[in-house]
Amino acid sequence: MTAETMFYWSLAATALGLVVIGIWGVLTRKNILRIALAFTLADTGVNLILVWSGFLPNRAAPIIDSSVTTVVDPLPQALVLTSIVIGVAVAALFVVVGVLASRKSGSADVRRMKELRW
Amino acid sequence: MIRTIVGLVIVLALSAIVISSVSDYSVPSELIGAGLNYTEQGVDDTGSVNLVTAVVVAYRGLDTLGEVVVLFSASTAVVLILTLIPIGANPTPPSSIVAFTAGILPGAIVLFGIYVITHGHLSPGGGFPGGAVVASAFLLVMLGSNTIPGKTKFLTSIESLAGLTFGLLGFWGMLTLGQFLNNLVLPAGSPGRILSAGIIPLISLAIGAKVASELSGVFASYRKAGGEE
Amino acid sequence: MNMTLLAAASMGTGIMMLVAAVAALVVKKLISAIIIVGFVSLSASVLFLLMDAPDVAITEASIGAAISTVIFLWGRGKIGGQE
Repeated sequence: MTAETMFYWSLAATALGLVVIGIWGVLTRKNILRIALAFTLADTGVNLILVWSGFLPNRAAPIIDSSVTTVVDPLPQALVLTSIVIGVAVAALFVVVGVLASRKSGSADVRRMKELRW
Repeated sequence: MIRTIVGLVIVLALSAIVISSVSDYSVPSELIGAGLNYTEQGVDDTGSVNLVTAVVVAYRGLDTLGEVVVLFSASTAVVLILTLIPIGANPTPPSSIVAFTAGILPGAIVLFGIYVITHGHLSPGGGFPGGAVVASAFLLVMLGSNTIPGKTKFLTSIESLAGLTFGLLGFWGMLTLGQFLNNLVLPAGSPGRILSAGIIPLISLAIGAKVASELSGVFASYRKAGGEE
Repeated sequence: MNMTLLAAASMGTGIMMLVAAVAALVVKKLISAIIIVGFVSLSASVLFLLMDAPDVAITEASIGAAISTVIFLWGRGKIGGQE
Protein backbone atom coordinates (compact mmCIF):
# COMPACT_ATOMS: atom_id res chain seq x y z
CA MET A 1 0.00 0.00 0.00
CA THR A 2 1.51 3.27 -1.09
CA ALA A 3 1.49 6.46 0.93
CA GLU A 4 -0.85 8.05 -1.60
CA THR A 5 -3.46 5.29 -1.16
CA MET A 6 -3.23 5.56 2.61
CA PHE A 7 -3.63 9.34 2.45
CA TYR A 8 -6.68 9.06 0.18
CA TRP A 9 -8.49 6.37 2.15
CA SER A 10 -7.70 7.71 5.62
CA LEU A 11 -9.59 10.89 4.68
CA ALA A 12 -12.60 8.81 3.58
CA ALA A 13 -12.45 6.66 6.73
CA THR A 14 -12.44 9.73 8.97
CA ALA A 15 -15.44 11.21 7.17
CA LEU A 16 -17.44 7.98 7.27
CA GLY A 17 -16.49 7.46 10.92
CA LEU A 18 -17.81 10.91 11.82
CA VAL A 19 -21.12 10.23 10.06
CA VAL A 20 -21.49 6.86 11.82
CA ILE A 21 -20.66 8.30 15.25
CA GLY A 22 -23.06 11.20 14.67
CA ILE A 23 -25.96 8.94 13.67
CA TRP A 24 -25.24 6.67 16.64
CA GLY A 25 -25.36 9.70 18.92
CA VAL A 26 -28.66 10.90 17.46
CA LEU A 27 -30.14 7.45 18.00
CA THR A 28 -28.90 6.78 21.52
CA ARG A 29 -28.36 10.04 23.43
CA LYS A 30 -31.06 11.44 25.70
CA ASN A 31 -30.24 15.12 26.28
CA ILE A 32 -31.72 17.26 23.50
CA LEU A 33 -28.58 19.42 23.18
CA ARG A 34 -26.40 16.30 23.05
CA ILE A 35 -28.53 15.13 20.13
CA ALA A 36 -28.00 18.50 18.42
CA LEU A 37 -24.23 18.10 18.93
CA ALA A 38 -24.32 14.61 17.39
CA PHE A 39 -26.27 16.04 14.46
CA THR A 40 -23.53 18.65 13.96
CA LEU A 41 -20.88 15.91 13.96
CA ALA A 42 -22.76 13.97 11.27
CA ASP A 43 -23.13 17.19 9.28
CA THR A 44 -19.35 17.76 9.39
CA GLY A 45 -18.77 14.18 8.26
CA VAL A 46 -21.13 14.54 5.29
CA ASN A 47 -19.35 17.74 4.23
CA LEU A 48 -15.99 15.91 4.44
CA ILE A 49 -17.34 13.06 2.26
CA LEU A 50 -18.60 15.53 -0.36
CA VAL A 51 -15.28 17.36 -0.58
CA TRP A 52 -13.42 14.03 -0.64
CA SER A 53 -15.50 12.88 -3.62
CA GLY A 54 -13.95 15.64 -5.73
CA PHE A 55 -10.43 15.25 -4.36
CA LEU A 56 -7.49 13.95 -6.39
CA PRO A 57 -4.07 13.53 -4.76
CA ASN A 58 -1.07 15.38 -6.18
CA ARG A 59 -3.10 18.27 -7.54
CA ALA A 60 -3.49 21.93 -6.58
CA ALA A 61 -6.37 23.91 -5.13
CA PRO A 62 -8.84 25.11 -7.80
CA ILE A 63 -7.35 28.57 -8.27
CA ILE A 64 -6.02 28.81 -11.81
CA ASP A 65 -2.71 30.55 -12.30
CA SER A 66 -0.16 30.57 -15.10
CA SER A 67 1.84 27.92 -13.22
CA VAL A 68 -1.13 25.82 -12.06
CA THR A 69 -3.11 23.83 -14.59
CA THR A 70 -4.02 20.51 -12.90
CA VAL A 71 -6.48 21.17 -10.09
CA VAL A 72 -9.03 19.22 -8.01
CA ASP A 73 -12.76 19.25 -8.82
CA PRO A 74 -14.24 22.63 -7.77
CA LEU A 75 -17.90 21.57 -7.92
CA PRO A 76 -18.20 19.63 -4.59
CA GLN A 77 -16.27 22.39 -2.81
CA ALA A 78 -18.76 24.98 -4.06
CA LEU A 79 -21.68 22.84 -2.84
CA VAL A 80 -20.09 22.29 0.59
CA LEU A 81 -19.40 26.01 0.96
CA THR A 82 -23.13 26.73 0.98
CA SER A 83 -23.91 23.56 2.91
CA ILE A 84 -21.78 24.62 5.90
CA VAL A 85 -23.54 27.98 6.25
CA ILE A 86 -26.96 26.33 5.98
CA GLY A 87 -25.86 23.70 8.50
CA VAL A 88 -25.17 26.32 11.14
CA ALA A 89 -28.54 27.99 10.50
CA VAL A 90 -30.29 24.63 10.90
CA ALA A 91 -28.30 23.93 14.08
CA ALA A 92 -29.40 27.32 15.46
CA LEU A 93 -33.04 26.43 14.76
CA PHE A 94 -32.51 22.98 16.33
CA VAL A 95 -31.13 24.53 19.53
CA VAL A 96 -33.96 27.09 19.79
CA VAL A 97 -36.67 24.47 19.31
CA GLY A 98 -34.88 22.16 21.76
CA VAL A 99 -34.67 24.90 24.39
CA LEU A 100 -38.38 25.67 23.99
CA ALA A 101 -39.30 21.98 24.21
CA SER A 102 -37.21 21.51 27.35
CA ARG A 103 -38.83 24.60 28.90
CA LYS A 104 -42.26 23.20 28.11
CA SER A 105 -41.68 19.73 29.52
CA GLY A 106 -39.46 20.92 32.38
CA SER A 107 -36.52 18.72 31.39
CA ALA A 108 -33.93 18.42 28.63
CA ASP A 109 -34.47 14.66 28.55
CA VAL A 110 -36.15 13.58 25.30
CA ARG A 111 -37.88 10.69 27.08
CA ARG A 112 -39.84 13.27 29.08
CA MET A 113 -41.07 15.15 26.00
CA LYS A 114 -44.48 13.65 25.38
CA GLU A 115 -44.98 15.62 22.14
CA LEU A 116 -42.10 13.76 20.54
CA ARG A 117 -43.53 10.29 21.25
CA TRP A 118 -44.76 8.16 18.41
CA MET B 1 -28.66 -0.38 27.27
CA ILE B 2 -30.90 -2.02 24.67
CA ARG B 3 -31.09 1.35 22.94
CA THR B 4 -27.29 1.57 22.71
CA ILE B 5 -27.00 -1.91 21.21
CA VAL B 6 -29.79 -1.37 18.67
CA GLY B 7 -28.22 1.95 17.65
CA LEU B 8 -24.83 0.28 17.27
CA VAL B 9 -26.31 -2.47 15.09
CA ILE B 10 -28.07 0.08 12.87
CA VAL B 11 -24.96 2.21 12.31
CA LEU B 12 -22.76 -0.85 11.72
CA ALA B 13 -25.20 -2.12 9.07
CA LEU B 14 -25.20 1.37 7.50
CA SER B 15 -21.42 1.57 7.38
CA ALA B 16 -21.20 -1.97 5.96
CA ILE B 17 -23.50 -0.91 3.10
CA VAL B 18 -21.42 2.21 2.41
CA ILE B 19 -18.10 0.34 2.57
CA SER B 20 -19.32 -2.42 0.24
CA SER B 21 -20.48 0.19 -2.26
CA VAL B 22 -17.04 1.83 -2.47
CA SER B 23 -14.96 -1.37 -2.25
CA ASP B 24 -14.08 -1.37 -5.96
CA TYR B 25 -12.96 2.25 -6.02
CA SER B 26 -9.36 3.17 -6.73
CA VAL B 27 -7.55 6.46 -6.32
CA PRO B 28 -8.64 8.64 -9.27
CA SER B 29 -6.09 10.42 -11.39
CA GLU B 30 -8.23 12.25 -13.95
CA LEU B 31 -11.19 14.58 -13.67
CA ILE B 32 -14.38 13.62 -15.50
CA GLY B 33 -17.67 15.29 -16.38
CA ALA B 34 -18.66 18.70 -15.14
CA GLY B 35 -15.51 19.19 -13.06
CA LEU B 36 -13.28 18.75 -16.12
CA ASN B 37 -15.43 21.20 -18.05
CA TYR B 38 -15.28 23.81 -15.29
CA THR B 39 -11.50 23.57 -14.84
CA GLU B 40 -10.83 23.81 -18.58
CA GLN B 41 -13.18 26.65 -19.46
CA GLY B 42 -13.93 28.35 -16.15
CA VAL B 43 -11.47 31.22 -16.50
CA ASP B 44 -12.47 31.90 -20.11
CA ASP B 45 -16.19 31.69 -19.34
CA THR B 46 -16.34 33.81 -16.20
CA GLY B 47 -13.04 35.66 -15.84
CA SER B 48 -12.74 34.44 -12.25
CA VAL B 49 -9.40 32.93 -11.24
CA ASN B 50 -10.89 31.13 -8.23
CA LEU B 51 -12.98 28.35 -9.75
CA VAL B 52 -14.96 27.67 -6.56
CA THR B 53 -16.34 31.20 -6.62
CA ALA B 54 -16.98 30.85 -10.35
CA VAL B 55 -19.07 27.74 -9.71
CA VAL B 56 -20.91 29.22 -6.70
CA VAL B 57 -21.79 32.54 -8.32
CA ALA B 58 -21.77 32.02 -12.09
CA TYR B 59 -22.35 28.40 -13.09
CA ARG B 60 -24.61 27.49 -10.18
CA GLY B 61 -25.89 30.98 -9.39
CA LEU B 62 -29.53 29.94 -9.34
CA ASP B 63 -28.75 27.17 -6.81
CA THR B 64 -26.97 29.76 -4.65
CA LEU B 65 -30.07 31.99 -4.80
CA GLY B 66 -32.10 29.01 -3.56
CA GLU B 67 -29.62 28.31 -0.75
CA VAL B 68 -29.76 31.96 0.32
CA VAL B 69 -33.55 31.56 0.53
CA VAL B 70 -33.11 28.46 2.73
CA LEU B 71 -30.73 30.38 4.98
CA PHE B 72 -33.20 33.27 5.12
CA SER B 73 -36.11 31.05 6.13
CA ALA B 74 -34.07 29.26 8.81
CA SER B 75 -32.87 32.52 10.38
CA THR B 76 -36.37 34.00 10.13
CA ALA B 77 -37.75 30.97 11.97
CA VAL B 78 -35.18 31.41 14.76
CA VAL B 79 -35.94 35.12 15.16
CA LEU B 80 -39.70 34.52 14.97
CA ILE B 81 -39.70 31.79 17.63
CA LEU B 82 -37.49 33.84 19.95
CA THR B 83 -39.59 37.03 19.63
CA LEU B 84 -43.00 35.35 19.83
CA ILE B 85 -42.16 33.44 23.00
CA PRO B 86 -39.87 35.52 25.24
CA ILE B 87 -37.75 33.32 27.48
CA GLY B 88 -36.53 36.16 29.70
CA ALA B 89 -33.48 38.39 29.55
CA ASN B 90 -30.56 38.30 31.97
CA PRO B 91 -27.27 38.98 30.16
CA THR B 92 -24.34 38.15 32.40
CA PRO B 93 -21.57 40.80 32.42
CA PRO B 94 -18.42 39.67 30.53
CA SER B 95 -15.10 39.08 32.26
CA SER B 96 -12.47 41.81 31.88
CA ILE B 97 -10.40 39.70 29.43
CA VAL B 98 -13.35 39.26 27.06
CA ALA B 99 -14.35 42.92 27.39
CA PHE B 100 -10.80 44.11 26.60
CA THR B 101 -10.41 41.76 23.61
CA ALA B 102 -13.83 42.73 22.28
CA GLY B 103 -12.67 46.34 22.33
CA ILE B 104 -9.68 45.92 20.02
CA LEU B 105 -10.20 42.87 17.79
CA PRO B 106 -13.52 43.42 15.94
CA GLY B 107 -12.20 46.17 13.66
CA ALA B 108 -9.41 43.94 12.37
CA ILE B 109 -11.81 41.01 11.98
CA VAL B 110 -14.30 43.11 9.96
CA LEU B 111 -11.44 44.35 7.76
CA PHE B 112 -10.31 40.77 7.12
CA GLY B 113 -13.90 39.76 6.35
CA ILE B 114 -14.29 42.55 3.82
CA TYR B 115 -10.98 41.51 2.22
CA VAL B 116 -12.19 37.90 1.98
CA ILE B 117 -15.49 39.02 0.41
CA THR B 118 -14.05 41.43 -2.15
CA HIS B 119 -11.18 39.15 -3.25
CA GLY B 120 -13.44 36.12 -3.66
CA HIS B 121 -12.69 35.81 -7.36
CA LEU B 122 -8.90 36.02 -6.89
CA SER B 123 -8.04 34.09 -3.73
CA PRO B 124 -9.81 31.64 -1.38
CA GLY B 125 -12.94 33.26 -0.06
CA GLY B 126 -16.12 34.83 -1.37
CA GLY B 127 -19.48 35.76 0.03
CA PHE B 128 -20.14 32.83 2.37
CA PRO B 129 -16.78 32.68 4.26
CA GLY B 130 -16.44 36.47 4.39
CA GLY B 131 -19.97 36.92 5.68
CA ALA B 132 -19.32 34.37 8.42
CA VAL B 133 -16.11 36.16 9.44
CA VAL B 134 -17.91 39.53 9.66
CA ALA B 135 -20.71 37.92 11.66
CA SER B 136 -18.18 36.49 14.14
CA ALA B 137 -16.87 40.05 14.69
CA PHE B 138 -20.42 41.17 15.56
CA LEU B 139 -20.66 38.15 17.86
CA LEU B 140 -17.48 39.25 19.66
CA VAL B 141 -18.88 42.76 20.13
CA MET B 142 -22.06 41.30 21.57
CA LEU B 143 -20.15 38.99 23.92
CA GLY B 144 -18.05 41.89 25.19
CA SER B 145 -20.96 44.14 26.18
CA ASN B 146 -23.57 43.60 28.84
CA THR B 147 -26.35 45.57 27.20
CA ILE B 148 -29.32 44.15 25.33
CA PRO B 149 -29.43 45.13 21.63
CA GLY B 150 -32.30 47.42 20.70
CA LYS B 151 -34.17 47.44 17.41
CA THR B 152 -32.42 45.55 14.60
CA LYS B 153 -34.08 47.44 11.74
CA PHE B 154 -30.63 48.30 10.34
CA LEU B 155 -29.70 44.62 9.95
CA THR B 156 -33.08 43.83 8.41
CA SER B 157 -32.74 46.58 5.82
CA ILE B 158 -29.21 45.49 4.87
CA GLU B 159 -30.48 41.95 4.48
CA SER B 160 -33.42 42.99 2.27
CA LEU B 161 -31.19 45.28 0.19
CA ALA B 162 -28.67 42.46 -0.39
CA GLY B 163 -31.38 40.02 -1.43
CA LEU B 164 -32.87 42.63 -3.76
CA THR B 165 -29.43 43.29 -5.30
CA PHE B 166 -28.95 39.58 -5.99
CA GLY B 167 -32.34 39.31 -7.70
CA LEU B 168 -31.98 42.53 -9.71
CA LEU B 169 -28.51 41.52 -10.99
CA GLY B 170 -30.08 38.26 -12.11
CA PHE B 171 -32.87 40.07 -13.97
CA TRP B 172 -30.32 42.44 -15.54
CA GLY B 173 -28.76 39.46 -17.29
CA MET B 174 -32.21 38.26 -18.28
CA LEU B 175 -33.10 41.56 -19.94
CA THR B 176 -29.84 42.22 -21.78
CA LEU B 177 -28.49 38.76 -22.63
CA GLY B 178 -31.60 36.62 -22.29
CA GLN B 179 -30.27 34.49 -19.40
CA PHE B 180 -31.00 34.77 -15.68
CA LEU B 181 -27.84 35.63 -13.68
CA ASN B 182 -25.67 35.82 -16.79
CA ASN B 183 -22.22 36.75 -15.56
CA LEU B 184 -21.03 38.77 -18.55
CA VAL B 185 -23.38 41.75 -18.43
CA LEU B 186 -20.28 43.53 -17.17
CA PRO B 187 -17.00 42.92 -19.05
CA ALA B 188 -14.94 39.95 -17.86
CA GLY B 189 -11.76 42.03 -17.90
CA SER B 190 -8.35 40.44 -17.54
CA PRO B 191 -8.35 37.53 -15.04
CA GLY B 192 -6.39 38.33 -11.91
CA ARG B 193 -7.35 41.99 -11.58
CA ILE B 194 -9.63 43.09 -8.77
CA LEU B 195 -12.10 44.71 -11.20
CA SER B 196 -12.72 41.70 -13.40
CA ALA B 197 -14.96 38.65 -13.65
CA GLY B 198 -18.19 40.44 -14.60
CA ILE B 199 -20.76 40.67 -11.81
CA ILE B 200 -19.05 38.09 -9.54
CA PRO B 201 -17.63 40.74 -7.11
CA LEU B 202 -21.04 42.44 -6.86
CA ILE B 203 -22.87 39.19 -6.14
CA SER B 204 -20.16 38.17 -3.64
CA LEU B 205 -20.75 41.48 -1.88
CA ALA B 206 -24.52 40.83 -1.80
CA ILE B 207 -24.09 37.28 -0.47
CA GLY B 208 -21.58 38.46 2.13
CA ALA B 209 -23.87 41.24 3.38
CA LYS B 210 -26.80 38.85 3.51
CA VAL B 211 -24.98 36.08 5.42
CA ALA B 212 -23.41 38.56 7.85
CA SER B 213 -26.67 40.38 8.60
CA GLU B 214 -28.68 37.16 8.96
CA LEU B 215 -26.24 35.55 11.40
CA SER B 216 -25.92 38.83 13.33
CA GLY B 217 -29.70 39.08 13.53
CA VAL B 218 -29.84 35.55 14.95
CA PHE B 219 -27.24 36.50 17.60
CA ALA B 220 -29.08 39.71 18.45
CA SER B 221 -32.32 37.82 19.04
CA TYR B 222 -30.43 35.23 21.13
CA ARG B 223 -29.07 38.07 23.22
CA LYS B 224 -32.54 39.52 23.72
CA ALA B 225 -33.78 36.14 24.90
CA GLY B 226 -31.06 35.73 27.52
CA GLY B 227 -27.32 35.54 28.29
CA GLU B 228 -24.87 33.28 26.46
CA GLU B 229 -23.07 32.18 29.67
CA MET C 1 4.58 18.32 0.00
CA ASN C 2 5.89 14.87 0.72
CA MET C 3 3.16 12.23 0.35
CA THR C 4 4.28 10.24 3.42
CA LEU C 5 4.06 13.37 5.52
CA LEU C 6 0.57 14.08 4.15
CA ALA C 7 -0.57 10.53 4.92
CA ALA C 8 0.77 10.80 8.48
CA ALA C 9 -0.91 14.18 8.97
CA SER C 10 -4.29 13.03 7.68
CA MET C 11 -4.22 9.78 9.68
CA GLY C 12 -3.18 11.54 12.86
CA THR C 13 -5.84 14.22 12.51
CA GLY C 14 -8.45 11.62 11.58
CA ILE C 15 -7.79 9.36 14.57
CA MET C 16 -7.80 12.39 16.88
CA MET C 17 -11.12 13.54 15.42
CA LEU C 18 -12.81 10.15 15.79
CA VAL C 19 -11.63 9.77 19.39
CA ALA C 20 -12.82 13.30 20.16
CA ALA C 21 -16.20 12.66 18.49
CA VAL C 22 -16.82 9.57 20.63
CA ALA C 23 -15.65 11.50 23.70
CA ALA C 24 -18.10 14.33 22.94
CA LEU C 25 -20.98 11.86 23.06
CA VAL C 26 -20.00 9.92 26.18
CA VAL C 27 -18.40 12.62 28.37
CA LYS C 28 -20.47 13.56 31.43
CA LYS C 29 -20.51 17.36 31.34
CA LEU C 30 -22.34 19.08 28.51
CA ILE C 31 -19.94 22.03 28.39
CA SER C 32 -17.00 19.69 27.76
CA ALA C 33 -18.95 18.05 24.94
CA ILE C 34 -19.60 21.44 23.33
CA ILE C 35 -15.92 22.42 23.45
CA ILE C 36 -14.89 19.02 22.06
CA VAL C 37 -17.29 19.39 19.12
CA GLY C 38 -15.72 22.79 18.41
CA PHE C 39 -12.32 21.06 18.38
CA VAL C 40 -13.64 18.44 15.92
CA SER C 41 -14.83 21.22 13.61
CA LEU C 42 -11.43 22.90 13.76
CA SER C 43 -9.70 19.60 12.89
CA ALA C 44 -12.18 19.16 10.02
CA SER C 45 -10.98 22.47 8.63
CA VAL C 46 -7.41 21.07 8.70
CA LEU C 47 -8.64 18.07 6.69
CA PHE C 48 -10.35 20.41 4.20
CA LEU C 49 -7.02 22.18 3.77
CA LEU C 50 -5.28 18.84 3.15
CA MET C 51 -7.93 18.11 0.52
CA ASP C 52 -7.00 21.31 -1.39
CA ALA C 53 -10.18 23.16 -0.40
CA PRO C 54 -9.00 26.45 1.16
CA ASP C 55 -12.37 28.19 0.68
CA VAL C 56 -14.17 25.46 2.62
CA ALA C 57 -11.44 25.48 5.28
CA ILE C 58 -11.94 29.21 5.99
CA THR C 59 -15.69 28.76 6.23
CA GLU C 60 -15.49 25.73 8.50
CA ALA C 61 -12.94 27.40 10.80
CA SER C 62 -15.00 30.56 11.32
CA ILE C 63 -18.38 28.86 11.52
CA GLY C 64 -17.67 25.49 13.12
CA ALA C 65 -15.21 26.69 15.71
CA ALA C 66 -16.69 30.09 16.61
CA ILE C 67 -20.33 30.55 15.69
CA SER C 68 -21.84 27.12 16.32
CA THR C 69 -19.94 26.73 19.61
CA VAL C 70 -21.50 29.96 20.89
CA ILE C 71 -24.96 28.83 19.72
CA PHE C 72 -24.65 25.62 21.73
CA LEU C 73 -23.26 27.46 24.78
CA TRP C 74 -26.34 29.73 24.65
CA GLY C 75 -28.59 26.67 24.52
CA ARG C 76 -26.79 25.11 27.49
CA GLY C 77 -27.35 28.30 29.48
CA LYS C 78 -31.06 28.28 28.65
CA ILE C 79 -31.84 24.66 29.56
CA GLY C 80 -30.57 25.36 33.05
CA GLY C 81 -27.35 23.34 33.09
CA GLN C 82 -28.94 19.90 33.01
CA GLU C 83 -26.35 17.37 31.95
